[in-house]
Amino acid sequence: MAKISLRRGAALALTGLLAAGTLAGCAADATTDTGGTTDNGSSASAESTTIRVVAAQYTDDMQPYYDDLVMRFEADNPNINVEVEVVSWNDIDQKIKTMVQTNDLPDIGNLNYFSSFAADGLLYTADELLPAATLDDMVETFIENSKYEGTAYAVPDLASARLFFYNKDIFDAAGLTKADIVTWDGVRAAAEKIKASVPGVTPLALPLGPEEAQAEFLIWAASNNGGYYNNGAWDITSAANVETLEYLQGLVADGLTNPSPATFNRTDGAFALFAQGQVGMLNGAIFLPSVLEEQGSTINYDIAPFPTNRADGTSITLGVQDYFFGFKNEGETNKAAVQAFMSFLFEADNYAGFLEAAGGFLPATKSAGEAMSSDEALAPYIAVLPNAVFYPGAEASWPAVQGETQQTIGLAVAKGADIMSILEGIASKAE
Amino acid sequence: MTTNTVAPPSRRRKKSLIQRFLAGPLPWITPMLILILAIVLWPVYEMGRTSVLEISGSGVTKGFAGLENYRELFDNPNLLGAISRTFFWVVTVVAITIFISLFLAQLLNAKFPGRRFVRYALIVPWAASVIMTATSFRWMLDGYYGILNRILLDLGLVEEAIDWMGSAETSLPWLIIVAVFVSLPFTTFVILAGLQTVPGEVYEAAKVDGASARKTYFSITFPLLKTSLFIATVINLINVFNQFPIIWVMTGGGPGYTTDTTTTLMYKLAFRSQEIGQSAALSVVNFGIILIFVLIYIRATGFGKKED
Repeated sequence: MAKISLRRGAALALTGLLAAGTLAGCAADATTDTGGTTDNGSSASAESTTIRVVAAQYTDDMQPYYDDLVMRFEADNPNINVEVEVVSWNDIDQKIKTMVQTNDLPDIGNLNYFSSFAADGLLYTADELLPAATLDDMVETFIENSKYEGTAYAVPDLASARLFFYNKDIFDAAGLTKADIVTWDGVRAAAEKIKASVPGVTPLALPLGPEEAQAEFLIWAASNNGGYYNNGAWDITSAANVETLEYLQGLVADGLTNPSPATFNRTDGAFALFAQGQVGMLNGAIFLPSVLEEQGSTINYDIAPFPTNRADGTSITLGVQDYFFGFKNEGETNKAAVQAFMSFLFEADNYAGFLEAAGGFLPATKSAGEAMSSDEALAPYIAVLPNAVFYPGAEASWPAVQGETQQTIGLAVAKGADIMSILEGIASKAE
Repeated sequence: MTTNTVAPPSRRRKKSLIQRFLAGPLPWITPMLILILAIVLWPVYEMGRTSVLEISGSGVTKGFAGLENYRELFDNPNLLGAISRTFFWVVTVVAITIFISLFLAQLLNAKFPGRRFVRYALIVPWAASVIMTATSFRWMLDGYYGILNRILLDLGLVEEAIDWMGSAETSLPWLIIVAVFVSLPFTTFVILAGLQTVPGEVYEAAKVDGASARKTYFSITFPLLKTSLFIATVINLINVFNQFPIIWVMTGGGPGYTTDTTTTLMYKLAFRSQEIGQSAALSVVNFGIILIFVLIYIRATGFGKKED
């Protein structure tokens, strides 16, 4: 109701403005605005639709990218207006959720989860968003991760993968090489060596602060065959997870990490300190090099697989994918426009532009993947993707589990912490 | 007498309803009433309504939930800690603020060269945005880059850098210090205004009677400050209770939930734990607590009763 009256109000205001414009002698402008339908004789009956897109700000290049994309799209589709709002990662989750709550749904959303919207029946299916040919071109794992109860309700927009980063100068000073950090025991020994021979630096950065604790924990846990979700069920209080946290707790207790992991965040903590050459090693990501560059860092670093504690010695990576999804509105009148815009965005050239603007992520389509496989910076990440673990993003309660993990998992590595009760607290959010 | 009282109503009856309405107080207060209804009572109603609805993690209303949200809220293991912390936080911050402000106001009321500039300087923490102040403190106290650690290390007062925001034991005191810091200007100026209303003759009389400075303060100044102290306390109680930015910027209520007050917990419930109904229930509880705060205080000070 409120939405309709708001729209009506806006329409009235617009009419008023247009009228004023005409009176002021800007008649030419006014007719172009309203003239879309009259110029286009063939579609005179089709009403013009406006769709709103709330898109994630991967970098500052996103807004210019969308401005250009929308301009070209609207030229091809004169009956569709597209309003794109590019929102920072800090705010976008809250923004979209508030829109849902006030029943002022956007038409297309772009976020790192989708399942709770799908569970509420708000979303178009992936088949409705994109033509079959485009869907077939998507990397299967990513489509698999876009399913809620067996049906894909979102499409991947891009993905990232993570690897272990280490500071070569610090390793040289401590007499260490890449071969020393293949296993957890190796990491502990290496951290001890760094602590002894390069005083003042943090041997291992452990950012379990709220910003990204859910990822940091999953990387360590999965390297020990643990994690949030195993074989189709939540498995948060598993022995593997307890063992993982005990291992990390030991590192913290011996002063081999930053002193308070629970308040140490990734961006302003771990990454910033690594950029200044104050960290020996840490869990990094595909976009860490661009962060280092942005901060003018001159450190000498290299990447390695994540240290593992698995019996078979395999190393995992954490794959994180983000999504595009389309919100149904009443009567699904926005369906055609949403489809048209999504298809346009995934046209090869437009999608390549999207990836370029987002900067250094892995493509969601096979064709773009092939085109980019020669990129040296991306190659190691593409290589580890087959061993990727993902968040249980298809579970409707994942956002709540993630929220609780971000708040509390850091406490589990503090001295004397009751690991089991913290894990139980997180598990209580999984339904 | 009787004729006098009967006659006017007959004349009044001739006036139309509209005329009577226009002659009354309503036309003058209607805009205010509409404003109060729209921006105070309506949100309160919405808050109450949300607290009895079942709302999914994505924000969709699923229907009436009765008191389910409240039951979940009271089962929440973090609630009790947050409530007791909130009381501790409010009482400590307000008490320290009032105590220091009494001295500051006395100082600013005394005549000394450059008093005007000292008064201006005191406004700074008030004029600066709270977010900005909190952000500055957060980085001054940072375990790796903080200036405080640098100073303490250089002076040899500590052996190694302290991660002040790393645990509640060290961060809570700092949160209180920052909250006092931003509350001081307002409180001081309210008390200063109170001091300036004390007539000079009263002090002259006290001097003539040979009262000591101490006696003068406790028998004259302090009792006459009652109204200003009351205003300063109640407004501070409400402000500090609702204080969100300082805690959010400096610790985010963390680590875990160890520095959360009910205000930050409310936010976390909605936006981290995806429990919008529970969060609304907590805001109703918060609203109740703040009402109780105000009522207790009004009773204790006798404010609101007719003054002699």
